[in-house]
Amino acid sequence: MTRLQTVVRWAGPILWLTLALPPVRHALESTLTLQMLVQIPLLALVGWWLRPFLPDRAVKVLNAWNRGGISGLLLASFAAMIWMLPRTMDSALNVPWVELAKFTSVPVLLGLPLAVSWPRAGFVVRGVFLVEATATAFRLGWLYLVSPQRLCSNYLLGDQQLAGNALLAIGAAMSLLLAWKLMWGHVDVDGSHRRSHA
Amino acid sequence: MASLTMYPDDERLAGGERIAFNLYIVTAVALFVLMMLLGLTMRMTQAKWLTVQSPLFYQLLSMHGAGMVGTMALVTTAVMWFFLRKYVQLHLWAFVANYVLFMLGALCIIASIFVGRYGALWTFLYPLPVRGFGLWTSNTSALFMVGYLLIGVGSLLFYLDAAAGIIKVHGNLGRALGLQWLFGGKIDPDHPKAVVASTQVIISNSLGILAGAVVLVMSLVNIFFPTVVLNALLAKNLIYWFGHQYINATIYMGVIAVYELLPRYTGKPYPISRPFLWSWAASTLFVIVVYPHHLLMDFAQPRWLAVIGQMVSWGAGFPVFLVTVFGALTNLHRSGIRWTMPSRLLILSMFGWAAGIVPAILDGTIRNNLVMHNTQWVPGHFHFYLLLGVLAMAMALMYHVIGSRVSAPPNSSADKLGFPLYLAGGLIFTYAFLDAGRLSVPRRMAEHLDSWTFTDKVGSIGAILVVLAMLYFAIRISAGLLKQPSAGAAGVSTADAAG
Amino acid sequence: MSVLRTLLASLLVLAAGVTALSASTDGFRAFTSETARRVAVREHPRDLPPVLLQTAQGRTVDLASLRGRWLLVDFIYTRCLTYCSVQGNEFARLQDRLAGPIADGKVLLLSISFDPTHDGPVQLADYQSRSKDRGAGWIAARPTDTAGLEALMRGFGVTAISDGLGGYVHNAAINVVDPRGRLVAIADWDSPQEAEQVVLRGLAR
Repeated sequence: MTRLQTVVRWAGPILWLTLALPPVRHALESTLTLQMLVQIPLLALVGWWLRPFLPDRAVKVLNAWNRGGISGLLLASFAAMIWMLPRTMDSALNVPWVELAKFTSVPVLLGLPLAVSWPRAGFVVRGVFLVEATATAFRLGWLYLVSPQRLCSNYLLGDQQLAGNALLAIGAAMSLLLAWKLMWGHVDVDGSHRRSHA
Repeated sequence: MASLTMYPDDERLAGGERIAFNLYIVTAVALFVLMMLLGLTMRMTQAKWLTVQSPLFYQLLSMHGAGMVGTMALVTTAVMWFFLRKYVQLHLWAFVANYVLFMLGALCIIASIFVGRYGALWTFLYPLPVRGFGLWTSNTSALFMVGYLLIGVGSLLFYLDAAAGIIKVHGNLGRALGLQWLFGGKIDPDHPKAVVASTQVIISNSLGILAGAVVLVMSLVNIFFPTVVLNALLAKNLIYWFGHQYINATIYMGVIAVYELLPRYTGKPYPISRPFLWSWAASTLFVIVVYPHHLLMDFAQPRWLAVIGQMVSWGAGFPVFLVTVFGALTNLHRSGIRWTMPSRLLILSMFGWAAGIVPAILDGTIRNNLVMHNTQWVPGHFHFYLLLGVLAMAMALMYHVIGSRVSAPPNSSADKLGFPLYLAGGLIFTYAFLDAGRLSVPRRMAEHLDSWTFTDKVGSIGAILVVLAMLYFAIRISAGLLKQPSAGAAGVSTADAAG
Repeated sequence: MSVLRTLLASLLVLAAGVTALSASTDGFRAFTSETARRVAVREHPRDLPPVLLQTAQGRTVDLASLRGRWLLVDFIYTRCLTYCSVQGNEFARLQDRLAGPIADGKVLLLSISFDPTHDGPVQLADYQSRSKDRGAGWIAARPTDTAGLEALMRGFGVTAISDGLGGYVHNAAINVVDPRGRLVAIADWDSPQEAEQVVLRGLAR
């Protein structure tokens, strides 16, 4: 393996260590927008980049229970839901074991299952996942914007509004990107979609 | 272009496909009869021929509205599936999943209305679902909304599978719509119209369903966390963006039957053309942006949205008239068409759609809407093109399929009685609504003033005729679909005929 | 075969996921830490630590010594220029509404500053008079040392963060403490009637 390949292979752990460094951690947790839309997605990316470290045999066993990537995507979705709760993002700042849970569960239960399952997911499964993700961005963005109370005790209301607007922007961007790709781009439909024709 | 073979092999329904299609159609016709009976009950209540307590009236209205929209979507999904599967690979599991989720959703809706006494109508406009004033609880409304979510997920699965199939053959949705041929180039004469129409529906209805998914969850959040208040205007915009596209998709799915079947009955080819592609491209855009015509009387709306609503309402008429209807008429001209049930229904549907659009365009004009908004003119226009347009398209396919079982288009004496009964009843019924609108009779009201009851009575009579005709059609079509095809009949393998 | 395995795995994930979500939200009731704090206190009344406080009159008093009566406690900082400046007025209204029980010595209002470096007795007294203190049954105080402040913030679940303008943003609320010195309920800071109801119900028992 070349030097470059080695660096790329270790990108996940390197990123994780970077994110765990106290100054980086505090910077990324200083606002709600940063924690939710930068830190946590980066931790998920760590998980995605951990895929090469899974031995092929283990992946094969997992995938026997993961047809179409469905159970893996479900797992990633629930992990995401838990880390979308204002409460958990709040506690991560106050309660050390919650912070530790974030730094382990987001890579291992969100990013990694996503990396294992996405290639196995067919067009319809990916479509459902992406549509739901887009809808969730809009719903959460709206919720953050209209909530009369501060949802997180550790963050300012103005920050909550910013996060809300950012989420709406993300939802809009995803919609446009998906629409563009489907209308005028190229989409590989085949994947691992097995034809089940009665 | 679509083949002229009456019952081609690639339309064969066998095994699981046959069962699924039968389920769709038999369920749909049964639901149509039931929903029509609810509608008749309401018209007779308004005519003061029946006494129904107002809270129950609004429950019936909620069921009729949601049930009709849902069933129309169900039956036209079957139409789209029937034809699209010839050109792209569709998976049976997606078609069946849509049916199952529809039924689950329908159960939730029925429970919320008849057990929970939900009466906030099919539009679930905020804050009505959470202001039951003791007639229904917010939890009941939540169940209703969950029903909608289930149905929406089912539709989404079907559309995603169809999109996958279309993209696999045509590369992307833009090419499936034929956009590359809009400004020149040789149009592939075999490019299926069914693919163009299906693509339009996939694009616009997916957006609508996304909007619906967002506003339904917003409404649910508000129900369980009342301190999170909805912006009523935003909610209304999202609801009508969702609803308008959902019901219009039924028309665009249904018309596939016309494109596919009419040439077979006229014996004249109906080739694809550039105007056709322009019409559908324009229609894709129009159906996405025309929804503000539902909010013309919401003066808090930004003015530019209302203007778009009117302009696009007018614009949307052109593709329909100039291309589909004109095209159908030119196909019909000097064709020597033989009038059998499928052909009658196909031509009726063109009339129903075209004529039904006129009151819609009139009402989509702000000046007129000031007077006609929320009068019975509105149900007049949508019953026109749903009853005499879309339902006729779907029934044309149903009759065509039962014809395929016996290798001959059905045209019995009972059919020849049922058709004029349906047509006359439909016309009387819808014109009664339109006339009531002219008299400014308000819509969605359980109790009518005595001076309004004349059109209610006329409408009731029309409705009775429609119900009788539909009852006949339902039995005729169900029996025809469930009958084993005769051995040697076209479109059927001997294995099927034997078992 | 993999269809069934996937179905089973998915059902397991679903069950585990819903359980985890339910556990993280106290049974889908508390999605924010503030709601969680209130639910927790309602279900498990919390013993409060003994902390030394210095009142606006300069006297030293132990929080524990205030047992034997119902306490309505709120956390303030006198420099507040935003909505929390109204907290004092809400307490003055409570002095009126609970005048009877206060006169009987059954109820006491206590405002504690979480900014003891700035809020000395003078500032606290000024805060009370600004808020139209009715003169009876309301003590304003500050913890005497940092350890005491931390114990109070932890015990009551108070979070105060910098608002970027030199002040604080905090989860203002009215904390209800029973005569046994346990935190039993937390009410909205701007709904004094809610806190009043809890106290009146408690007194009736």
